[in-house]
Parts: sequence; structure tokens; C-alpha cells
Amino acid sequence: MSLPYYHVNVFTGIKSCKVMEDPQALAKIAKKAQRPLLVLGPQCGEVNLGGKQLLDYAIEIAKTLGAAICATANVKKKLLEAGVTPDSTYDAVEIINHLKDPAWKGVKKEGNHDFVMFLGIRPDLGNQGLSTLKHFAPHLKTATLCKYVFPNANFSLPNLKNDKWKEYLDNMVQGLKS
Amino acid sequence: MSKGAVKQKEINKTIRAEDNWEPIGPTPMPEMSDLRRWDMRLMKTYKPFYAPFCDLCCFCTYGKCDLTEDKKGACGINISGQQGRWGLIFSLMGCAAHGAHGRHLIDYLIEKYGEDYKIDLGGQVDVEAPHMRTVMGLKPETLGDLRKGIEFVERGIIHGVSATHMGQEGSDLDFESKSLHIGMLDHVAMEVADIAQTIGFKFPTSKAETGLSGLGWGAVDKTKPVVTCVGHNAAVASVMIDHLMKAGIYDQVEVTGICCTAHDNIRYSDRAKVIGPLSKQVFFLKTGIADLIMSDEQCVRCDIPQLAKESGSALIATSDKISYGLDDVTHKEVDEIVRLIIEEGKQVLIRDVDKAGEVAAKVLPVVAKNRKKELVTKEKAQELAQACKKCELCDRVCPNFLNISTAVSDVKEGKFDMMTSVFARCVGCGKCEQECSKDVPIIKIMQAAASWDTYNIRVGRGPIQDVEIRKVGAPIVLGTIPGIIAIVGCSNFPEEIEEVAEIAEEFAKRKYIVVLSGCAAMAAGMKKDADGKTIYDKYKPDFDAGGVLNVGSCVANSHITGAAMKVANIFAKLPLRANYEVIADYILNRVGAVGLVWGSYSQKAFAIGAGCNRLGIPVVLGPHSAKYRKLYLSRKEEDDWTVMDGRKKELVNTEEPSPEHLLVVTESKERAIITLARLCIRKNDTAQGRQIKLNHYISLYKQYMGSLPDDLQNFVRNDKDIPIVYKKEVIEYLKTVGWKPKPLLTLPTFIGTYESNIPIDAVVK
Repeated sequence: MSLPYYHVNVFTGIKSCKVMEDPQALAKIAKKAQRPLLVLGPQCGEVNLGGKQLLDYAIEIAKTLGAAICATANVKKKLLEAGVTPDSTYDAVEIINHLKDPAWKGVKKEGNHDFVMFLGIRPDLGNQGLSTLKHFAPHLKTATLCKYVFPNANFSLPNLKNDKWKEYLDNMVQGLKS
Repeated sequence: MSKGAVKQKEINKTIRAEDNWEPIGPTPMPEMSDLRRWDMRLMKTYKPFYAPFCDLCCFCTYGKCDLTEDKKGACGINISGQQGRWGLIFSLMGCAAHGAHGRHLIDYLIEKYGEDYKIDLGGQVDVEAPHMRTVMGLKPETLGDLRKGIEFVERGIIHGVSATHMGQEGSDLDFESKSLHIGMLDHVAMEVADIAQTIGFKFPTSKAETGLSGLGWGAVDKTKPVVTCVGHNAAVASVMIDHLMKAGIYDQVEVTGICCTAHDNIRYSDRAKVIGPLSKQVFFLKTGIADLIMSDEQCVRCDIPQLAKESGSALIATSDKISYGLDDVTHKEVDEIVRLIIEEGKQVLIRDVDKAGEVAAKVLPVVAKNRKKELVTKEKAQELAQACKKCELCDRVCPNFLNISTAVSDVKEGKFDMMTSVFARCVGCGKCEQECSKDVPIIKIMQAAASWDTYNIRVGRGPIQDVEIRKVGAPIVLGTIPGIIAIVGCSNFPEEIEEVAEIAEEFAKRKYIVVLSGCAAMAAGMKKDADGKTIYDKYKPDFDAGGVLNVGSCVANSHITGAAMKVANIFAKLPLRANYEVIADYILNRVGAVGLVWGSYSQKAFAIGAGCNRLGIPVVLGPHSAKYRKLYLSRKEEDDWTVMDGRKKELVNTEEPSPEHLLVVTESKERAIITLARLCIRKNDTAQGRQIKLNHYISLYKQYMGSLPDDLQNFVRNDKDIPIVYKKEVIEYLKTVGWKPKPLLTLPTFIGTYESNIPIDAVVK
């Protein structure tokens, strides 16, 4: 595992993420999920990657993968403006609290999710939430799509600059479509 | 251990059981587990949620132990237990900080005035100490009685610390119960400390409209000698002001403060000024504006001696809790200490309050004479920034994820907008500067980008008046005043400092009662509208609908929770005396009060939150607080919301998640605002009250989320609850989600839903 970009997320433990250098490989893992969920944080509405909003990547990934969307913080408004109604609206800790329970019905009431991706949540809050899931939700796998290493996820992107992040997300979308 | 006759006799003596101001309730001076069943009931609905910050336990020599997932440590503890233990440790640290602060003040004041010195909080505050009354069963009358309060807290702390040792407590729920207990004691400690300083230093009390004081680093007259007090203890600064007055030079100097001592200074003297919250400590001390720095206790930087040297400021440390390795000169004569500071440039520790105050007053004008105060200009800042190679190490260590490297690069080119924005978000840790391999003085550069505007802050007013409670008690409980929003705590804000003022104003203009304290109260004053007014200029300082009031420093937080207790006592006529469970149950189910700790940082903030939670007051935290490792969350759709209807003595499944959480983190200001409005909802609301609360919830949700709330069906009991202005669309929405009317009840209570010695009749008055 690489050192996380932000030192507040430096890892103190034994079980850390697998850094996915290859976006196609991450896409392949995501495609195997039965009930994937994409949890979106406020940075989705704030980050622009070479003319494309991060939120647009999120929507594209969710649609391609058939993943349910959970809008945290105030992302719902941005999604509605983009013409997408999220499947659920919680704050980050609330959705994580639900995901802990293997018997939870999930945001679509079809059963708990088996693969949860996170995008656009504050790095410290995100890593803390992932810690909860690592310890208390062995029934699911987690992945982060943000541009930094998140040690507490099962799968994380490497630390990337914006241009490489954009390239990664483009390749991942390609991988999901293929 | 159950209480034996000897113990009971000791309690009766301490609380003067023969005094008949109220009957003695079931839990006088409760021990660690006396309220455990209440805690367990709370945690049945609001289960602990853990987010481990570290997967290991490093407490003993068997370790390090990996506790990942279901692994146990060498002592048998698991990851949940370890998080619970951290929570107890944090509560203890916070409670001990307030308790030791209170102990110092009381010992000092008893030396000065004697233990029989009377408590008098003015004609408008008869219920002088709701926490001591409710928790201990003691109605304090003198400083000596306040000391009993601190002794009670100290005893609890020892017990609590012992439980954290290896081979003691292991259950996460029991750690939580103990943490809540210590949180409760923390409010007793705070109350004791604030009453002591209010009577000892004659701070304002029984007065809503306190004055306005200068706020902001720009408010300081740099041409005068400047002393800056950092910390939380009013004693030394008050004595110093007395000496400056006695010397006839008080109007020729500037007495300023950072963090809570600043609150206390302006309560003591209308000439004192508040620099700002904790997050501006490093920034201000690096400006060198302070000729003399006086440190006392709590939230004081550990590196103040270095900061003072760097800036050429003199330093007097005054607390044995923060001695910095300095020479203790307490035993020396005043003139000798003055000589050491002025002639030898020594930084000193003086543990005697009176001597420290006298020395400070003598030193200040002299040390100021030979100092030049030059702020960093834009040209200078540009020059200082030239060494930056944009390696981004500063970005990587920033706990607020600020793009510092780009801001510094911009400054290199003479552009300051981004640095201004970074400064507004800076939490003041100084790690960026430390990390810089080129030694770029980033915090100093901020001097050229910061606003040097001046602001106003309302002087802390101490306790809420009984007459105010009489006026607002009914509207709060019925819901027609939609809630009490208490914005408290530190300045570890996720975004601009201005967000605190924006949140406060959002609720003040909607006629909630907005109460502030500590660093949050300072931050709230640091935003002006188009007319140049702060929220303290714009809103009345009353504990009433639409009021914005500052109670004072950290320890004055006890007056906010105390106000909720007073509603139960003065409005609902419930006895406080040793009656904690009933009072907490009343507040949880019937008083729409919510705390917001948007910038929580310290362990004191954690303990204050724990005390609020045990008392039934939900707390909303900013995103940094996920690092506190634990929350108390419900799951609104899945959980059981059955309560007792106290009048009918029937269990009722209300299906209503109110309040939904006891301790929750929100990520954005918008989400925090919506969550606060939702958490003000109580089962006790009348239809009129519920309409008002839902009107605000819907309006805020639409404003920030762009639609009707998707949990609205949980809070509409029948069509009378629906706000008229949204009636049509709400009814349409409710049809789409299959909403059905919910049972109504007039006296919701947890009493009777769990095993307790409290009869249901105890909550019916």
C-alpha cells in the first residue's frame, strides 16, 4: 500500500487496502457485484476534471454498472439539477450505519449491498467511515474512487493528480462498458 | 456497590438532606452505575456507532495488539470495547480539565473570601445551579458548597480512570455508560467553575443585555502595549487588570485574549478585547503584536515558549498544568521577577495568581517600549514566498485539506485571493510551516492576506434567567418556539469561519433560540452583513424566539444544559433534586434543544457532548469529529420507537424517530442545518408546534436539497401536522409513499419502557 496523500489518514493497523493501479481491474471487480451501491459526497458537485464534472462521472459509473446511488451531505440537489433522482439520501455516517447490518434491505429494498463505492466524501470522514465497514461489515467489499489512497477500503485508487485521475475514471468507465 | 448506611449518612450530610427545598429524589450523588439503566435505555435506541481511528491497542506491554474485525487483544478486549474505552478516556480528560479548572478557582476564591462566601447570581436567577441540584441533590449556598461539587466530580473521575486500566471494564456499552456518567459530571464541574468565577470576579449575571466588546485581531491598537491572555482561567487576568487600573495605566494598554480567557476578560472589563478563537492562536502570536503573552490553562499551544521567542514577546506561564519546563519563580519577590523578565529576557512560571497578575502589570509597559511591531506587507509576503517549490508537503499535512501550496505559489506572483480563502479555512495547527523543506513562513504570509477588520461580540451573560424560562417554557415544550440551537465548542471548522455565523443566523431569523459559547461564539461574530453588522448587533440577546445570546466561556456551557433543566423545573414543575433520570427523560422527549459542535477539537468538547447526550440533548458534529471514533445513531426506518404514554400508562409505537440521533456527524453546513431542524422535533409537539417545526424543516430541505424531505412521512402524525403553505404537495407526496396516520400521545416518556425504580407518575405533573 502507498502512503495516503493526506497524513491524517496514515494507517495504523494490519489490514489495509489493495491499491488498484489498473482501472480495468477495478472495473472487473465492480462488474461482479450483485447489488452495487455508489455513495456520493459533496466534492462530486465541486470538482471539475478537464471540463467534465465529477458528478457526471459518478452518474455515468452508476448507470453503466446499474449501481444504486446514495446522496450524502447536500449532493441530492446537484443530482436533481442533473436530472437524476438518487435512490436514497443519507449523511455519510447514516448510510454506513445501515450498511453494517447484513440483514438490511438496501436502498432499493432488494437486500443489502455487496459492493460499495465511495466518491467525493471528505478524506478524513471517508476513511473513518471505511474503518467502520472494515471492522463491522465483513459481508461487503468497499472501494474508493477518489484520487487518493484510502487505507481502510478494500480497494483504493493510488494517489493521483487530477489529469491522471480523469484518465483513470475514463478507463474505468470504458472497462465497465466492455 | 450498593450504598450502605455510612455512605448514605455521608451523602445526607453533604447535601444537607434536612433542607426541604425539594424532596430528595432517587439518585442523590450518583455513583458510576446508579444511572446505568438509563444509559442502556438510551443506547437501545441510539446505538453506539464506532469508527476506529487506529486498529491497534498499544496500552500495555502485551501489545501492540491487532483488533481488526473480530480479533481480541491479549487482555481480551475487542475493537468495540477499545473504542468505548477511548470514549471514556476522552470524557475523563475533558471533565478533568474543567474540574481542575474549577478546583483552582474555588481554592483561590476560598483563600480570598472564605468558604462561607455566599452565592448570589442576582435577582433573576433563583435556580442557581440546576446541575448540582439535579445530579447531587445539593442546593449550593456558598463557595464551600461549590467545593463539595468539585469533590464529587473528583471522586467520579478516579473511578472512571480506574475502569480504563487493563483487566477492568471490557464491554463497549459499559464503557459508554461510564463515559456518559463522566459527561454528566463534566457539566457539574463547569457549572461550579462558572458560578465561582461569576461571584468571585463579579461577572455580569441576571442581565440579558450585556454590552458588546471588540472582536478580531484588527480590533487591537498596536501602538499601545498589548498583553494577550491565552487559555481558560479568569483569575490571573482579572488580577492583572486590577493592577493596571491601580497603576493608572489601564487605558494606555490593550488587554486581549484568545480562547475562553478572552470571554472571561470581557465579562470582567468592558475595555478588554477578544482576538478570536483557538484556530487563530498561532497566527496572532506570530504577528508579534502581543508584547506579553500570559498563558493559563486548556487549549494553549504546547510551543508557546518558542512562538514567543520567535516573535520577541515576553511570556509568563501561570498554571502548573502547563509549565513548559520554565523556571518556577513563584517564590521570588515581584521586583526580582520583573527584572528577570525585562533585563534577562527570561520566560517564567509564576504559580501564584496575585503575584503573576502584579508582575504582568509591571512588565507590560516596559517590555512594550523596546519592541517594533511590523506586520508582513504584501510585498514582503511575496518575497517570503519565493522559496516555495510547490512540493505539496504542506498540503499533505493539512488536517483541513487546504490547497496551501497553490496559495503560496499565487503569493509568489503577487496574487492573494487564494491565500485569503486558505486563511479563512485554516484551523491554525501550523503543520504546513513545520513540514516546509524551504522554511517558507506560511503563517506569517497569511498576515498579508487576512482581513484586519474589527467585529463585535456580545459579552457572555452567564446563566439564563428564571423569568426567561417562565416565558418560553410553554412554547418550547409545545413546539411553537421551534427549538433551541446551541452552537458551542472549538474552531476546528471544515470550511470558512463565517459558516458559524451563517448557521446561527439561519435559525435566529426563523425564531429559534440561538445560544452560543466558547470559540463558536467568537466565530459567530466574525461576519458582517452589507450594513456592517454582526449577528450580535442584529439580534436581541434574550433567551427567547429569535434571540442570539452568548453565555460565555466553555464552562458557561453548563448554563445551556441548565436552561433545559430549568424548563423541566420552572415550567413543568418537576423537582430537580437528585432526580436526574426524570429530568433527562423530560428533556429528551419534550424539549426541542440540539447542540451543534461544528468545530469540535478538544476532549472537553467530547465530554460536554457526553453530558448533553445523557441529559437527552442530541448533538450534531462537524466532519472532523468522525475522529472521535463514536456516535450514537438510530436507524429511523428499522428501529423501535415505542414510548410510554405517561398519562394513559400505555406503551405506544409512535413510529416516529424523534429525536433521530443523539450524536451524529454531518459533512456540510447545509446538511448540518437540515439535521438541526429535524432533531428539534419531539413527540410532545402540539399540532401547531409540529406544523411550525415541519414548516422550517421542509423549507430548509427544499432550499438546500431541492425537494421535499424524503423522510417527511416519519414526522407527520396526522393532517393537522402539515404546514398550510406546503399542504397540497405534502399530501400528494404522502400518498406516493403509502403514509398512514400515527398514534398521538400527550406525555411521551421512556420511563416504563425499561426496568427502573422510577414510577411513571414521577413524570406526570
